[in-house]
Amino acid sequence: MPKNFVFIGLFGSGKTEIAINYALHLKKENEKVAIADVDIISPYFRTRDVIEQLEKKGIKVITPPGALKYADLPIVSGAVAGYLNNEEYKTVLDVGGEENGVVVVGYLKPHLSDAEISFVVNTRRPFTSTVDGIIKAYNQLSKIAKVKINYLINNTNLSNETTEEIILQGEEIVAKASEILEIPVKFTVVPEFLNDVKARFPIFRIERFMKMEL
Amino acid sequence: MEKVMVKGTEAIGEAAIRAGCRHFFGYPITPQSELPEYMSKRLPEVGGVFLQTESEVATVNMLYGAACTGTRVMTSTSSPGFSLMMEGVSYMACAQLPAVFVNVVRGGPGLGDIQPAQGDYWQATKGGGHGDYKLIVLAPSTVQEAVDLTVLAFDLADKYRTPALILADGLLGQMMEPVEFPEFRDLETLPDHSSWALTGANGRKPHIVTSFDIDPYVLEKMNLELVEKYKEIEKNEVRWEEFKTEDAEIIITAFGTVGRIAKSVVEMARKDGLKIGLFRPITVWPFPYKPLEELAEKVEMFFDVEMNMGQMLEDVRLAVKDKKPIAFYSRMGGVVPTPNEIYEALKKEIGRRVK
Repeated sequence: MPKNFVFIGLFGSGKTEIAINYALHLKKENEKVAIADVDIISPYFRTRDVIEQLEKKGIKVITPPGALKYADLPIVSGAVAGYLNNEEYKTVLDVGGEENGVVVVGYLKPHLSDAEISFVVNTRRPFTSTVDGIIKAYNQLSKIAKVKINYLINNTNLSNETTEEIILQGEEIVAKASEILEIPVKFTVVPEFLNDVKARFPIFRIERFMKMEL
Repeated sequence: MEKVMVKGTEAIGEAAIRAGCRHFFGYPITPQSELPEYMSKRLPEVGGVFLQTESEVATVNMLYGAACTGTRVMTSTSSPGFSLMMEGVSYMACAQLPAVFVNVVRGGPGLGDIQPAQGDYWQATKGGGHGDYKLIVLAPSTVQEAVDLTVLAFDLADKYRTPALILADGLLGQMMEPVEFPEFRDLETLPDHSSWALTGANGRKPHIVTSFDIDPYVLEKMNLELVEKYKEIEKNEVRWEEFKTEDAEIIITAFGTVGRIAKSVVEMARKDGLKIGLFRPITVWPFPYKPLEELAEKVEMFFDVEMNMGQMLEDVRLAVKDKKPIAFYSRMGGVVPTPNEIYEALKKEIGRRVK
């Protein structure tokens, strides 16, 4: 099992939700788990917004210090490299979207020798709704991240309007991209409110954290 | 069309393209930078032009230039950026140029912060720039409504030859929701501006688009033409939503994102047997004075909720006059009120009045 886990993708592909849920998943088998919010471009809906919830569950959350966490400044705390190298911890990196967000992965590359990199795709999002779109986004991001991407993740969803059909349509497209790119699919994401989804890839169930009371 | 998951900012961009907008000039500012980012990727795909300007002042003047040719053009910005554009917005209103502006409002005044707020209501609806002018101002409360109102903004701007503004806030700009986009507008079917637009005076008299006349009597004529136009807009284009107002005793007034939060408050209160309804202006200019005044005849009290110091509150007062009491609740600085806290504040107001 790798020591570190990195989730990258375009804006709004679901990286943060998956990173948080993956940290919780790791916590079941591992005593020490950390999640580093190194999203340097999103102004809202970030891991740092749910620090309390995660710390209650025993996850160490690394964010920019103090009030700086409210900014959208390109801050990567020195502690991130520390946790990536600390053998006691399984560490999850929640990376910002698009080329400008993924720059951080290139910057942290010296600390990512034992890391698994996954590329998150929601085929109901602009620019990754087709196989060609996914391949284009993959090429853009892997060039900037300067690391080899190990897995694709099918996170096709329409938030609370997600259905089995929508997820399976997404699998279809992600599976084709996986064949062409010769990169396996790590899992298909299924929200907690859907049961008995007949997915062809392993299922990873998630609970939604990035939501507001409206 | 199948539904897609989009952020408010992306939704406005895609809606603009489908409405026939092929020109976008803009400068990045949080929390709306995804909009220019989206346009920079999307416009080249449809044969359009995206240009990142050197400043907001340059942006608005590029809009002025593009709008002079009668083409559909848009920009988006956030609060301090919109302040910088004010001079040009006033010029465009006077020159009667159709264009769509988007202000994804953040905390202010000054540099403020990057969280959602509604402090630019006065700027949007009462002027902002200099001189006698109005903008058509549309305030969406969901991502789907942002799509629909963006298309409407282009149509109204063209119909009345006037700039229109989408008044959003950071939350709407950043939240993701499933939406359905309209079909692409056939560019050939867009309104014909050949009677005034600068399209090359080959074989005809030159057209003049200007916001200036040295002769006060001529300028006054231009003023009166605008006044007439604004009256027409006030007559034809007032839009609002009422939610459970039929039997309501108390009406919450709110716009944009807060309007949506207030809807949850209405549901909570109804479960407790309280007869609460919601009045949500969709056009904040022209403001729906008349329907709100009519409600004032029927209900006992109004409760205005905003993410500012009480800006729309003044319009609510103009509509309700002294017919019924109006209470007010607000959060500022980028803090978004929860349905619970609004409901608690409302119950306190009710309690205060029952005594």
